Amino acid sequence: MILKAQTKWGWFIAAYLFLAGVGGGAYVTGAVAGFGGPEWTLISKIGVLLSFPCVGVGCLFLILDLGSPKNFWRSAMKPATSWIARGTIVITIFMILGVLHAGLWIWPSQMLDTAQGLHTLISVLGILFAFGTMIYTGILLGAARPLAFWSTAMLPLLFLVSALSTGIMAVIFIGSLAGAAGHALLVLGKIDLLIILQEIFVLGFYLQATHRVRESRASARLVLAGSSAPLFWLGVVCLGLLVPLAFDLLTIYALSGPAGHTLGLLASCCGLLGGLFLRKVVLSGGIYAPLAAGRFEYALTNI
Amino acid sequence: MRYGFVIDLKRCYGCYSCTVACKATNHTPKNIDFAKCIQGETGIYPSALRQMLPTLCMQCSEPECLKVCPTGATLQDEHGVVTVDKDICMGCGYCMMACPYGQRHKVQLWETYFPDGPPELDPYQAYAKEKWEVKNGYGIAAKCDFCQDRVNDGKQPACVEACPAKARYFGDLDDPESEISILIRRERGFQLNPEFGTDPSVYYLPAR
Repeated sequence: MILKAQTKWGWFIAAYLFLAGVGGGAYVTGAVAGFGGPEWTLISKIGVLLSFPCVGVGCLFLILDLGSPKNFWRSAMKPATSWIARGTIVITIFMILGVLHAGLWIWPSQMLDTAQGLHTLISVLGILFAFGTMIYTGILLGAARPLAFWSTAMLPLLFLVSALSTGIMAVIFIGSLAGAAGHALLVLGKIDLLIILQEIFVLGFYLQATHRVRESRASARLVLAGSSAPLFWLGVVCLGLLVPLAFDLLTIYALSGPAGHTLGLLASCCGLLGGLFLRKVVLSGGIYAPLAAGRFEYALTNI
Repeated sequence: MRYGFVIDLKRCYGCYSCTVACKATNHTPKNIDFAKCIQGETGIYPSALRQMLPTLCMQCSEPECLKVCPTGATLQDEHGVVTVDKDICMGCGYCMMACPYGQRHKVQLWETYFPDGPPELDPYQAYAKEKWEVKNGYGIAAKCDFCQDRVNDGKQPACVEACPAKARYFGDLDDPESEISILIRRERGFQLNPEFGTDPSVYYLPAR
Protein backbone atom coordinates (compact mmCIF):
# COMPACT_ATOMS: atom_id res chain seq x y z
CA MET A 1 0.00 0.00 0.00
CA ILE A 2 1.42 3.35 -1.05
CA LEU A 3 0.08 6.37 0.82
CA LYS A 4 -0.25 9.39 -1.43
CA ALA A 5 0.07 13.02 -0.39
CA GLN A 6 -2.72 15.55 -0.75
CA THR A 7 -2.57 17.70 -3.86
CA LYS A 8 -5.44 20.14 -3.34
CA TRP A 9 -3.54 22.77 -1.40
CA GLY A 10 -0.45 23.94 -3.28
CA TRP A 11 1.60 27.06 -3.95
CA PHE A 12 -1.28 29.53 -3.46
CA ILE A 13 -2.00 28.32 0.06
CA ALA A 14 1.76 28.16 0.72
CA ALA A 15 2.05 31.81 -0.38
CA TYR A 16 -0.85 32.75 1.90
CA LEU A 17 0.64 31.00 4.94
CA PHE A 18 4.03 32.54 4.17
CA LEU A 19 2.81 36.10 3.63
CA ALA A 20 0.59 36.01 6.72
CA GLY A 21 3.72 34.95 8.63
CA VAL A 22 5.90 37.68 7.12
CA GLY A 23 3.27 40.33 7.85
CA GLY A 24 2.90 39.22 11.46
CA GLY A 25 6.65 38.94 11.99
CA ALA A 26 7.36 42.31 10.39
CA TYR A 27 4.73 43.97 12.58
CA VAL A 28 6.17 42.47 15.77
CA THR A 29 9.64 43.61 14.69
CA GLY A 30 8.36 47.09 13.93
CA ALA A 31 6.18 47.50 17.01
CA VAL A 32 8.89 46.26 19.38
CA ALA A 33 11.44 48.50 17.67
CA GLY A 34 8.99 51.36 18.23
CA PHE A 35 9.72 51.13 21.95
CA GLY A 36 13.48 51.53 21.29
CA GLY A 37 13.83 55.25 20.90
CA PRO A 38 14.46 57.64 17.99
CA GLU A 39 17.21 55.64 16.25
CA TRP A 40 14.70 52.81 15.76
CA THR A 41 11.93 54.95 14.27
CA LEU A 42 12.71 54.09 10.63
CA ILE A 43 12.91 50.34 11.35
CA SER A 44 9.66 50.56 13.27
CA LYS A 45 7.88 52.40 10.47
CA ILE A 46 9.12 49.85 7.92
CA GLY A 47 7.80 46.98 10.05
CA VAL A 48 4.38 48.59 10.42
CA LEU A 49 4.21 49.46 6.72
CA LEU A 50 5.09 45.88 5.73
CA SER A 51 2.55 44.22 8.01
CA PHE A 52 -0.90 44.72 6.57
CA PRO A 53 0.09 44.81 2.87
CA CYS A 54 1.84 41.43 3.21
CA VAL A 55 -1.14 39.87 4.97
CA GLY A 56 -3.49 41.50 2.48
CA VAL A 57 -1.63 40.11 -0.53
CA GLY A 58 -1.59 36.72 1.24
CA CYS A 59 -5.35 36.87 1.62
CA LEU A 60 -5.61 37.63 -2.11
CA PHE A 61 -3.76 34.38 -2.80
CA LEU A 62 -6.20 32.58 -0.52
CA ILE A 63 -9.18 34.09 -2.32
CA LEU A 64 -7.68 33.13 -5.70
CA ASP A 65 -7.42 29.54 -4.46
CA LEU A 66 -11.11 29.41 -3.55
CA GLY A 67 -13.39 27.41 -5.81
CA SER A 68 -16.15 30.00 -5.47
CA PRO A 69 -14.45 33.33 -4.68
CA LYS A 70 -17.74 35.27 -4.80
CA ASN A 71 -18.60 33.75 -1.42
CA PHE A 72 -15.30 34.66 0.25
CA TRP A 73 -17.03 37.16 2.52
CA ARG A 74 -18.78 34.27 4.25
CA SER A 75 -15.48 32.90 5.52
CA ALA A 76 -16.03 34.12 9.09
CA MET A 77 -19.59 32.87 9.57
CA LYS A 78 -18.86 29.95 11.90
CA PRO A 79 -16.14 30.89 14.40
CA ALA A 80 -17.64 28.52 16.99
CA THR A 81 -16.03 25.46 15.40
CA SER A 82 -14.04 26.41 12.32
CA TRP A 83 -10.43 27.58 12.43
CA ILE A 84 -10.68 29.30 9.06
CA ALA A 85 -13.51 31.43 10.46
CA ARG A 86 -11.56 32.21 13.65
CA GLY A 87 -8.45 32.97 11.62
CA THR A 88 -10.35 35.29 9.31
CA ILE A 89 -11.49 37.30 12.32
CA VAL A 90 -7.99 37.45 13.85
CA ILE A 91 -6.39 38.44 10.55
CA THR A 92 -9.05 41.09 9.86
CA ILE A 93 -8.54 42.67 13.28
CA PHE A 94 -4.78 42.52 12.78
CA MET A 95 -5.01 44.26 9.42
CA ILE A 96 -7.31 46.95 10.83
CA LEU A 97 -4.84 47.58 13.67
CA GLY A 98 -1.98 47.73 11.15
CA VAL A 99 -3.84 50.24 8.98
CA LEU A 100 -4.71 52.26 12.09
CA HIS A 101 -1.10 52.22 13.28
CA ALA A 102 0.21 53.35 9.89
CA GLY A 103 -2.60 55.83 9.32
CA LEU A 104 -2.15 57.60 12.67
CA TRP A 105 1.65 57.52 12.69
CA ILE A 106 2.98 57.72 9.14
CA TRP A 107 0.33 58.90 6.73
CA PRO A 108 -2.07 60.81 6.64
CA SER A 109 -1.76 61.70 10.34
CA GLN A 110 1.30 61.81 12.64
CA MET A 111 -0.65 62.13 15.88
CA LEU A 112 1.00 59.05 17.47
CA ASP A 113 4.28 60.99 17.69
CA THR A 114 2.71 62.98 20.51
CA ALA A 115 0.05 60.58 21.82
CA GLN A 116 2.45 58.10 23.42
CA GLY A 117 -0.24 56.27 25.38
CA LEU A 118 -2.31 55.54 22.30
CA HIS A 119 0.84 54.47 20.43
CA THR A 120 1.65 51.94 23.13
CA LEU A 121 -1.92 50.66 23.23
CA ILE A 122 -2.09 50.11 19.46
CA SER A 123 1.35 48.49 19.46
CA VAL A 124 0.51 46.06 22.26
CA LEU A 125 -2.83 45.09 20.71
CA GLY A 126 -1.18 44.77 17.31
CA ILE A 127 1.57 42.55 18.70
CA LEU A 128 -1.07 40.30 20.28
CA PHE A 129 -2.98 39.92 17.04
CA ALA A 130 0.26 39.55 15.06
CA PHE A 131 1.12 36.56 17.22
CA GLY A 132 -2.41 35.28 16.68
CA THR A 133 -1.94 35.57 12.92
CA MET A 134 1.41 33.80 12.91
CA ILE A 135 0.29 30.95 15.16
CA TYR A 136 -3.05 30.60 13.38
CA THR A 137 -1.36 29.55 10.13
CA GLY A 138 -0.10 26.45 11.95
CA ILE A 139 -3.35 25.74 13.78
CA LEU A 140 -5.28 26.01 10.49
CA LEU A 141 -3.40 23.00 9.15
CA GLY A 142 -3.39 21.30 12.54
CA ALA A 143 -7.18 21.12 12.61
CA ALA A 144 -7.13 18.73 9.64
CA ARG A 145 -6.94 15.66 11.85
CA PRO A 146 -6.52 12.88 9.28
CA LEU A 147 -3.20 14.40 8.19
CA ALA A 148 -0.92 13.53 11.08
CA PHE A 149 1.97 15.51 9.58
CA TRP A 150 -0.06 18.70 10.08
CA SER A 151 -2.02 17.73 13.13
CA THR A 152 0.75 18.25 15.64
CA ALA A 153 1.45 20.82 18.33
CA MET A 154 4.87 21.45 16.79
CA LEU A 155 3.53 22.96 13.58
CA PRO A 156 2.19 26.25 15.04
CA LEU A 157 5.53 26.65 16.82
CA LEU A 158 7.48 25.95 13.63
CA PHE A 159 5.42 28.45 11.66
CA LEU A 160 5.69 31.01 14.47
CA VAL A 161 9.47 30.81 14.57
CA SER A 162 9.68 30.91 10.78
CA ALA A 163 7.26 33.84 10.66
CA LEU A 164 9.33 35.85 13.18
CA SER A 165 12.51 35.09 11.27
CA THR A 166 11.08 35.95 7.84
CA GLY A 167 9.42 39.06 9.28
CA ILE A 168 12.73 40.32 10.64
CA MET A 169 14.42 39.51 7.33
CA ALA A 170 11.78 41.44 5.39
CA VAL A 171 12.42 44.44 7.66
CA ILE A 172 16.21 44.08 7.24
CA PHE A 173 15.76 43.88 3.47
CA ILE A 174 13.67 47.01 3.15
CA GLY A 175 15.68 48.71 5.91
CA SER A 176 18.96 48.16 4.04
CA LEU A 177 17.46 49.56 0.87
CA ALA A 178 15.95 52.54 2.73
CA GLY A 179 19.28 53.33 4.39
CA ALA A 180 18.47 52.47 7.99
CA ALA A 181 21.18 52.92 10.63
CA GLY A 182 23.84 50.20 10.39
CA HIS A 183 23.74 49.67 14.13
CA ALA A 184 20.00 48.92 14.13
CA LEU A 185 20.36 46.49 11.21
CA LEU A 186 23.21 44.73 13.02
CA VAL A 187 21.06 44.23 16.11
CA LEU A 188 18.22 42.87 13.97
CA GLY A 189 20.72 40.53 12.29
CA LYS A 190 21.82 39.22 15.69
CA ILE A 191 18.23 38.58 16.78
CA ASP A 192 17.56 36.89 13.46
CA LEU A 193 20.60 34.67 13.97
CA LEU A 194 19.18 33.44 17.27
CA ILE A 195 15.76 32.82 15.74
CA ILE A 196 17.26 30.88 12.81
CA LEU A 197 19.12 28.68 15.30
CA GLN A 198 15.84 28.09 17.10
CA GLU A 199 14.12 27.32 13.82
CA ILE A 200 16.69 24.63 13.05
CA PHE A 201 15.93 22.97 16.39
CA VAL A 202 12.15 23.30 16.02
CA LEU A 203 12.30 21.87 12.50
CA GLY A 204 14.34 18.95 13.81
CA PHE A 205 11.88 18.25 16.61
CA TYR A 206 8.94 18.65 14.22
CA LEU A 207 10.34 15.95 11.94
CA GLN A 208 11.33 13.78 14.89
CA ALA A 209 7.75 13.92 16.21
CA THR A 210 6.48 12.18 13.06
CA HIS A 211 7.58 8.72 14.19
CA ARG A 212 4.34 7.86 15.99
CA VAL A 213 1.97 6.91 13.21
CA ARG A 214 2.36 5.35 9.83
CA GLU A 215 1.09 8.23 7.71
CA SER A 216 3.33 10.83 9.31
CA ARG A 217 6.33 8.51 8.94
CA ALA A 218 5.42 8.36 5.27
CA SER A 219 5.25 12.18 5.26
CA ALA A 220 8.71 12.41 6.81
CA ARG A 221 10.08 10.01 4.19
CA LEU A 222 8.46 12.05 1.43
CA VAL A 223 10.03 15.24 2.76
CA LEU A 224 13.48 13.85 3.63
CA ALA A 225 14.00 11.39 0.79
CA GLY A 226 10.97 11.44 -1.50
CA SER A 227 9.53 13.81 -4.05
CA SER A 228 9.70 16.86 -1.75
CA ALA A 229 13.32 16.20 -0.76
CA PRO A 230 15.00 18.54 -3.30
CA LEU A 231 12.80 21.44 -2.22
CA PHE A 232 13.37 20.59 1.44
CA TRP A 233 17.15 20.15 1.40
CA LEU A 234 17.99 22.85 -1.13
CA GLY A 235 15.14 25.30 -0.60
CA VAL A 236 14.43 25.06 3.13
CA VAL A 237 17.63 23.78 4.74
CA CYS A 238 20.30 25.36 2.51
CA LEU A 239 18.63 28.47 1.15
CA GLY A 240 16.33 29.17 4.08
CA LEU A 241 18.47 28.26 7.09
CA LEU A 242 22.16 27.62 6.41
CA VAL A 243 22.81 30.45 3.93
CA PRO A 244 21.17 33.17 6.09
CA LEU A 245 22.91 31.71 9.14
CA ALA A 246 26.35 31.88 7.46
CA PHE A 247 25.72 35.32 5.96
CA ASP A 248 24.41 36.68 9.26
CA LEU A 249 27.52 35.36 11.04
CA LEU A 250 29.77 36.95 8.40
CA THR A 251 28.01 40.32 8.57
CA ILE A 252 28.13 40.38 12.36
CA TYR A 253 31.67 39.14 12.99
CA ALA A 254 33.74 39.55 9.84
CA LEU A 255 32.47 41.99 7.28
CA SER A 256 31.29 45.52 7.62
CA GLY A 257 30.57 48.34 5.20
CA PRO A 258 29.15 47.78 1.71
CA ALA A 259 30.12 44.08 1.52
CA GLY A 260 28.24 43.34 4.73
CA HIS A 261 25.37 45.43 3.48
CA THR A 262 25.06 43.34 0.28
CA LEU A 263 25.45 40.13 2.24
CA GLY A 264 22.64 41.19 4.56
CA LEU A 265 20.39 41.85 1.58
CA LEU A 266 21.22 38.45 0.08
CA ALA A 267 20.72 36.67 3.40
CA SER A 268 17.25 38.13 3.86
CA CYS A 269 16.27 37.26 0.26
CA CYS A 270 17.35 33.64 0.72
CA GLY A 271 15.69 33.41 4.10
CA LEU A 272 12.39 34.77 2.75
CA LEU A 273 12.40 32.26 -0.11
CA GLY A 274 13.20 29.51 2.38
CA GLY A 275 10.15 30.51 4.43
CA LEU A 276 7.91 30.14 1.37
CA PHE A 277 9.47 26.77 0.55
CA LEU A 278 8.98 25.59 4.14
CA ARG A 279 5.21 26.18 3.84
CA LYS A 280 5.11 24.37 0.50
CA VAL A 281 7.10 21.40 1.83
CA VAL A 282 4.78 21.04 4.83
CA LEU A 283 1.71 21.29 2.56
CA SER A 284 2.91 18.74 0.02
CA GLY A 285 3.95 16.39 2.81
CA GLY A 286 0.36 16.08 4.08
CA ILE A 287 -0.63 12.40 3.92
CA TYR A 288 -4.01 11.04 5.02
CA ALA A 289 -4.36 8.25 7.56
CA PRO A 290 -5.16 4.95 5.83
CA LEU A 291 -8.62 3.47 6.35
CA ALA A 292 -8.45 0.40 8.57
CA ALA A 293 -10.84 -2.56 8.29
CA GLY A 294 -9.76 -5.67 10.16
CA ARG A 295 -6.31 -6.76 8.97
CA PHE A 296 -6.57 -4.57 5.89
CA GLU A 297 -5.46 -1.00 5.42
CA TYR A 298 -6.58 1.12 2.50
CA ALA A 299 -4.85 4.17 1.10
CA LEU A 300 -7.26 6.95 0.22
CA THR A 301 -7.38 7.61 -3.50
CA ASN A 302 -8.62 10.60 -5.46
CA ILE A 303 -7.36 13.18 -2.97
CA MET B 1 -34.61 8.44 12.64
CA ARG B 2 -30.97 8.20 11.57
CA TYR B 3 -30.26 6.79 8.14
CA GLY B 4 -27.47 4.25 8.04
CA PHE B 5 -25.68 1.77 5.86
CA VAL B 6 -24.33 -1.71 6.43
CA ILE B 7 -21.76 -3.00 3.98
CA ASP B 8 -21.03 -6.73 4.24
CA LEU B 9 -17.36 -7.16 3.33
CA LYS B 10 -17.60 -10.94 3.03
CA ARG B 11 -20.25 -10.55 0.33
CA CYS B 12 -18.52 -7.83 -1.69
CA TYR B 13 -16.49 -9.18 -4.61
CA GLY B 14 -15.45 -5.84 -6.04
CA CYS B 15 -17.53 -5.57 -9.24
CA TYR B 16 -17.82 -1.76 -9.00
CA SER B 17 -21.58 -1.86 -9.65
CA CYS B 18 -22.09 0.61 -6.80
CA THR B 19 -19.57 3.01 -8.35
CA VAL B 20 -21.24 2.88 -11.75
CA ALA B 21 -24.81 3.03 -10.42
CA CYS B 22 -23.86 6.06 -8.32
CA LYS B 23 -22.28 7.75 -11.31
CA ALA B 24 -25.37 7.12 -13.40
CA THR B 25 -27.65 8.48 -10.68
CA ASN B 26 -25.66 11.46 -9.44
CA HIS B 27 -24.05 12.40 -12.80
CA THR B 28 -20.66 12.92 -11.22
CA PRO B 29 -17.92 14.35 -13.46
CA LYS B 30 -14.80 12.52 -14.57
CA ASN B 31 -12.58 11.35 -11.71
CA ILE B 32 -15.27 12.02 -9.12
CA ASP B 33 -16.88 8.97 -7.48
CA PHE B 34 -19.17 9.31 -4.49
CA ALA B 35 -19.23 5.50 -4.13
CA LYS B 36 -15.66 4.36 -4.50
CA CYS B 37 -14.24 0.87 -4.10
CA ILE B 38 -10.69 0.69 -2.75
CA GLN B 39 -8.52 -2.40 -3.11
CA GLY B 40 -6.64 -3.68 -0.09
CA GLU B 41 -4.02 -6.37 0.34
CA THR B 42 -2.46 -8.04 3.34
CA GLY B 43 0.13 -10.75 3.93
CA ILE B 44 2.87 -12.08 1.65
CA TYR B 45 2.50 -14.74 -1.05
CA PRO B 46 1.46 -17.57 -0.71
CA SER B 47 -0.69 -16.44 2.20
CA ALA B 48 -1.71 -13.09 0.72
CA LEU B 49 -5.29 -11.87 0.82
CA ARG B 50 -7.17 -9.28 -1.16
CA GLN B 51 -10.24 -7.42 0.04
CA MET B 52 -12.34 -4.67 -1.47
CA LEU B 53 -13.57 -1.77 0.62
CA PRO B 54 -16.60 -0.04 -0.87
CA THR B 55 -16.81 3.50 0.51
CA LEU B 56 -19.28 6.35 0.43
CA CYS B 57 -19.90 9.38 2.62
CA MET B 58 -20.14 8.04 6.18
CA GLN B 59 -22.74 10.72 7.17
CA CYS B 60 -21.00 10.88 10.55
CA SER B 61 -23.01 12.03 13.52
CA GLU B 62 -20.00 14.11 14.59
CA PRO B 63 -18.81 15.21 11.14
CA GLU B 64 -15.35 16.73 10.91
CA CYS B 65 -16.41 18.46 7.69
CA LEU B 66 -19.26 20.21 9.50
CA LYS B 67 -16.91 21.35 12.26
CA VAL B 68 -14.29 22.88 9.98
CA CYS B 69 -16.67 24.48 7.46
CA PRO B 70 -16.12 28.25 7.93
CA THR B 71 -19.17 29.46 5.99
CA GLY B 72 -21.98 27.34 7.39
CA ALA B 73 -22.55 25.76 3.98
CA THR B 74 -22.29 22.27 5.46
CA LEU B 75 -25.55 21.19 7.07
CA GLN B 76 -26.82 18.10 8.86
CA ASP B 77 -30.50 17.22 8.56
CA GLU B 78 -32.73 15.42 11.08
CA HIS B 79 -31.85 12.04 9.53
CA GLY B 80 -28.12 12.63 10.07
CA VAL B 81 -27.46 13.26 6.38
CA VAL B 82 -24.74 15.86 5.76
CA THR B 83 -25.30 18.15 2.79
CA VAL B 84 -23.66 21.21 1.23
CA ASP B 85 -25.53 24.40 0.36
CA LYS B 86 -24.01 25.20 -3.01
CA ASP B 87 -24.94 28.88 -2.83
CA ILE B 88 -23.07 29.40 0.44
CA CYS B 89 -19.95 27.22 -0.01
CA MET B 90 -16.85 29.21 -1.00
CA GLY B 91 -14.80 26.21 -2.06
CA CYS B 92 -11.91 26.59 0.39
CA GLY B 93 -11.33 22.84 0.49
CA TYR B 94 -10.99 22.70 4.28
CA CYS B 95 -13.60 19.91 4.49
CA MET B 96 -11.58 17.87 1.99
CA MET B 97 -8.61 18.13 4.32
CA ALA B 98 -10.63 17.30 7.43
CA CYS B 99 -12.67 14.31 6.18
CA PRO B 100 -10.84 11.15 7.26
CA TYR B 101 -12.67 9.11 4.63
CA GLY B 102 -11.85 11.16 1.52
CA GLN B 103 -15.54 11.72 0.75
CA ARG B 104 -15.44 15.41 -0.09
CA HIS B 105 -14.98 16.34 -3.73
CA LYS B 106 -14.46 19.50 -5.76
CA VAL B 107 -14.32 20.03 -9.52
CA GLN B 108 -13.40 23.29 -11.16
CA LEU B 109 -14.89 22.50 -14.58
CA TRP B 110 -16.52 19.70 -16.53
CA GLU B 111 -13.88 17.54 -18.19
CA THR B 112 -14.95 15.39 -21.10
CA TYR B 113 -14.41 11.64 -20.90
CA PHE B 114 -13.21 11.67 -24.50
CA PRO B 115 -10.47 14.30 -24.80
CA ASP B 116 -9.61 13.15 -28.35
CA GLY B 117 -13.24 13.27 -29.52
CA PRO B 118 -15.18 16.14 -31.07
CA PRO B 119 -15.10 19.44 -29.17
CA GLU B 120 -18.82 19.45 -28.36
CA LEU B 121 -20.09 17.07 -25.68
CA ASP B 122 -22.08 14.00 -26.69
CA PRO B 123 -25.77 14.12 -25.62
CA TYR B 124 -25.22 11.80 -22.64
CA GLN B 125 -22.45 13.93 -21.20
CA ALA B 126 -24.35 17.12 -21.97
CA TYR B 127 -27.30 15.73 -19.99
CA ALA B 128 -25.07 14.73 -17.08
CA LYS B 129 -23.33 18.10 -17.10
CA GLU B 130 -26.65 19.93 -16.93
CA LYS B 131 -27.85 17.74 -14.04
CA TRP B 132 -24.56 18.25 -12.20
CA GLU B 133 -24.76 22.01 -12.59
CA VAL B 134 -28.30 22.12 -11.22
CA LYS B 135 -27.57 20.05 -8.14
CA ASN B 136 -23.89 20.72 -7.39
CA GLY B 137 -21.88 23.05 -9.59
CA TYR B 138 -18.22 23.92 -9.89
CA GLY B 139 -15.57 25.00 -7.42
CA ILE B 140 -17.63 24.00 -4.40
CA ALA B 141 -17.71 20.91 -2.21
CA ALA B 142 -19.85 18.03 -3.46
CA LYS B 143 -20.63 14.80 -1.71
CA CYS B 144 -22.83 11.70 -1.40
CA ASP B 145 -26.15 12.42 0.32
CA PHE B 146 -27.42 8.82 0.61
CA CYS B 147 -29.48 9.50 -2.57
CA GLN B 148 -31.90 11.86 -0.81
CA ASP B 149 -34.07 12.28 -3.90
CA ARG B 150 -34.54 8.54 -4.34
CA VAL B 151 -35.08 7.90 -0.63
CA ASN B 152 -37.72 10.64 -0.45
CA ASP B 153 -39.48 8.87 -3.34
CA GLY B 154 -39.55 5.67 -1.29
CA LYS B 155 -36.72 4.02 -3.22
CA GLN B 156 -33.40 2.58 -2.02
CA PRO B 157 -30.14 4.45 -2.70
CA ALA B 158 -28.81 3.59 -6.18
CA CYS B 159 -25.75 1.71 -4.93
CA VAL B 160 -27.90 -0.53 -2.71
CA GLU B 161 -30.29 -1.36 -5.53
CA ALA B 162 -27.46 -2.10 -7.96
CA CYS B 163 -25.34 -4.33 -5.72
CA PRO B 164 -25.57 -7.86 -7.24
CA ALA B 165 -23.98 -9.49 -4.20
CA LYS B 166 -26.52 -7.96 -1.82
CA ALA B 167 -23.63 -6.63 0.23
CA ARG B 168 -25.25 -3.27 0.97
CA TYR B 169 -28.15 -2.54 3.28
CA PHE B 170 -29.83 0.79 3.93
CA GLY B 171 -32.08 1.52 6.90
CA ASP B 172 -32.69 3.23 10.24
CA LEU B 173 -29.94 3.03 12.86
CA ASP B 174 -32.20 4.40 15.62
CA ASP B 175 -34.65 1.50 15.29
CA PRO B 176 -33.18 -1.52 17.14
CA GLU B 177 -35.40 -3.87 15.14
CA SER B 178 -34.37 -2.62 11.69
CA GLU B 179 -32.46 -5.00 9.42
CA ILE B 180 -29.23 -2.99 9.66
CA SER B 181 -29.39 -2.69 13.46
CA ILE B 182 -29.83 -6.46 13.76
CA LEU B 183 -26.98 -7.11 11.31
CA ILE B 184 -24.65 -4.75 13.22
CA ARG B 185 -25.47 -6.52 16.50
CA ARG B 186 -25.30 -10.09 15.23
CA GLU B 187 -22.28 -9.84 12.97
CA ARG B 188 -20.11 -7.44 14.96
CA GLY B 189 -20.48 -4.46 12.67
CA PHE B 190 -17.71 -1.87 12.98
CA GLN B 191 -17.09 1.68 11.84
CA LEU B 192 -14.03 2.85 9.92
CA ASN B 193 -11.29 4.65 11.86
CA PRO B 194 -13.22 5.30 15.09
CA GLU B 195 -10.13 7.09 16.47
CA PHE B 196 -11.31 10.28 14.79
CA GLY B 197 -14.43 10.31 16.96
CA THR B 198 -16.74 10.93 14.03
CA ASP B 199 -19.26 8.14 14.77
CA PRO B 200 -20.03 7.23 11.13
CA SER B 201 -23.48 6.03 10.08
CA VAL B 202 -21.90 3.47 7.75
CA TYR B 203 -21.08 0.13 9.39
CA TYR B 204 -19.04 -2.69 7.92
CA LEU B 205 -19.43 -6.40 8.62
CA PRO B 206 -16.08 -8.22 8.96
CA ALA B 207 -14.72 -9.99 5.89
CA ARG B 208 -13.97 -13.38 7.37
